[in-house]
Amino acid sequence: MTVDQISVPDRTGPAARTGRATPAQRPGISMTARRQRAFYLFTSPWIIGFLLLTIVPMAYALWLSFTTYDGISPHWTYVGLGNYTELFSDPQTWNSLGRTGLFALTSVPLSIIAGLGLAVLVNRPIKGRGLFRTLLYLPAVVPPVGVGLTFKALFDQNSGAANGVITLFGFDALGWLSDPYARYVLLMSVLWAAGNVMIISLAGLQDVPRELHEAARIDGASAWRTFRSITVPLLSPVLLFQTVTGVIASVQTIMPLLLTPEGTTAGVTALPQSNYLYMMHVFSQYFALGRYGYASALLWVLFVLILIATGLIFKFTSGVVFYNVDPEAKK
Amino acid sequence: MTATSPLPDSAPRARIRVHRLVLYTVLVVITGLFIGPFGWLILSGLKTPAELAASPVHWLPTDFQWHNFADAFNLIDFLGYARNSLIIALIYATLVTLSSAWVGFGFARLDAPGKKTLFGILIGSMMLPQMITLLPTYLIFAKLGMVDTYWPWVLWGLAAAPYLVFLFRQFFAGLPRELEEAAIIDGCGYGTIFWRIFLPQSWPVLSASFVIAFTWSWGDYIAPQLLLSTDKSTLAVAVMSTYVTSAGTPVANLQAAASVMYVVPILLIFLIAQRGFVAGMSTTGLK
Repeated sequence: MTVDQISVPDRTGPAARTGRATPAQRPGISMTARRQRAFYLFTSPWIIGFLLLTIVPMAYALWLSFTTYDGISPHWTYVGLGNYTELFSDPQTWNSLGRTGLFALTSVPLSIIAGLGLAVLVNRPIKGRGLFRTLLYLPAVVPPVGVGLTFKALFDQNSGAANGVITLFGFDALGWLSDPYARYVLLMSVLWAAGNVMIISLAGLQDVPRELHEAARIDGASAWRTFRSITVPLLSPVLLFQTVTGVIASVQTIMPLLLTPEGTTAGVTALPQSNYLYMMHVFSQYFALGRYGYASALLWVLFVLILIATGLIFKFTSGVVFYNVDPEAKK
Repeated sequence: MTATSPLPDSAPRARIRVHRLVLYTVLVVITGLFIGPFGWLILSGLKTPAELAASPVHWLPTDFQWHNFADAFNLIDFLGYARNSLIIALIYATLVTLSSAWVGFGFARLDAPGKKTLFGILIGSMMLPQMITLLPTYLIFAKLGMVDTYWPWVLWGLAAAPYLVFLFRQFFAGLPRELEEAAIIDGCGYGTIFWRIFLPQSWPVLSASFVIAFTWSWGDYIAPQLLLSTDKSTLAVAVMSTYVTSAGTPVANLQAAASVMYVVPILLIFLIAQRGFVAGMSTTGLK
């Protein structure tokens, strides 16, 4: 549609029909003031929503974190920093935090490497690559409940395919969903969605200017060298994006819960130690023990840690990540 | 084998063929690993309880128990839960798409003091894990009596989602300026400009946003589990927690069949929306 086609019907639009003075003709209101008022009007749903559904709950959690509130008994008390001193001296906090850190440090790089590898493979000019792309991406759209049930079926001690395969090779069946193997099942459930990184990297790969590859080939660069020195730097904004979203996803994953036999929040008590991540620690305080005050303190500590972590990620990558400052150069 | 090719000039072609063979083998094996879990879930859904409990594993069911899929429908009120999921997803996806488009238009085409700060907060809020706000929000909703109603999804829908706002902002910012200038001269308000001029232009983003929001909601497990009682809850919750006998033992084969039926609609939506969707997803990740 061209601009003319759109503006023509509007000449006889609502303002003309009603015969009221149009806003532009109204005296006393400048165009700038109108634009400013409109800006606040348009952004207000998000501003109000952010205040009511993010700031208020966070402030409420902060207030609760200074109390012993449990949701039922009316006799809660203000304990100041009591919950915070307790959580810092609780080994469960540190252990679960360490596990979460380890989980993020393994799952995020591994899915990025896997996704990038897949992207390079299906970027080759081969027959049927569209089909390969679709099939490899498909697991990434499966909702968490589907992933949890699929992996429980795959890694069931009796009926799971995983034990079926390893017993074929003469090994003993493993209790995959309990300690110490549950962490690997969790990790594999993340890697199953590597198609996410693949799809996003693929778009990045196709944006890499051809001339760069040709120039590198003429200069006699090896395929690996080209990949390392041209492809990866050009993909670095995508990879940074994936790193940040990956870290956030691994902090808040409920997959450990879905992999328990119950699969519900009741499952927090049945979690294998190796999948007892920080968020699961929060859940068990929240749902198994009803300690809303203490759990809120845990949430606030996590919130501050995430602020620090994302800050550090951006700080350390600011010199490394390459942004194409001249987007027209792509064409 | 092809390395022993007698003709020197056919060597490169043979090497390419070997390369291609290796590439295909690798791809087929990897794709098999990625698709295999689906197959296993379907097979699990076609076995008898005895076969599922047997050790060592029964690779294939002796008789394919196709009736498991019908039984999974009848053991619980599958359609009722599916309807709940659908209602919540439609409410949320419709509202959040419209509100995000509305807010995105503000950030793309209008200006006022504080815009940069607000946009910074919007982007920053994407990095806040939703699980952190969900737990205290749940306590507040409980206090307001909104537990066991669909109001939380209405509110979340009206509040716009930062990721979708960003999507719309990028799209609207790319449209030519002349688009609204003529309308402003004609005296149209910004509401009219948005509704009559910008929204009709944005079908690709509107549908991408709707599909994304719909799949979020359909896949969401923790919010409905916290906020809704069992009979008002969604399919995600029902599939995970209600496939048990009266004695409380899980009915794993029917649960597997049910989870296939829970996942398939999302896969279908993705496959149908694929072209526009993948393109939309992949470009937004870059900017």
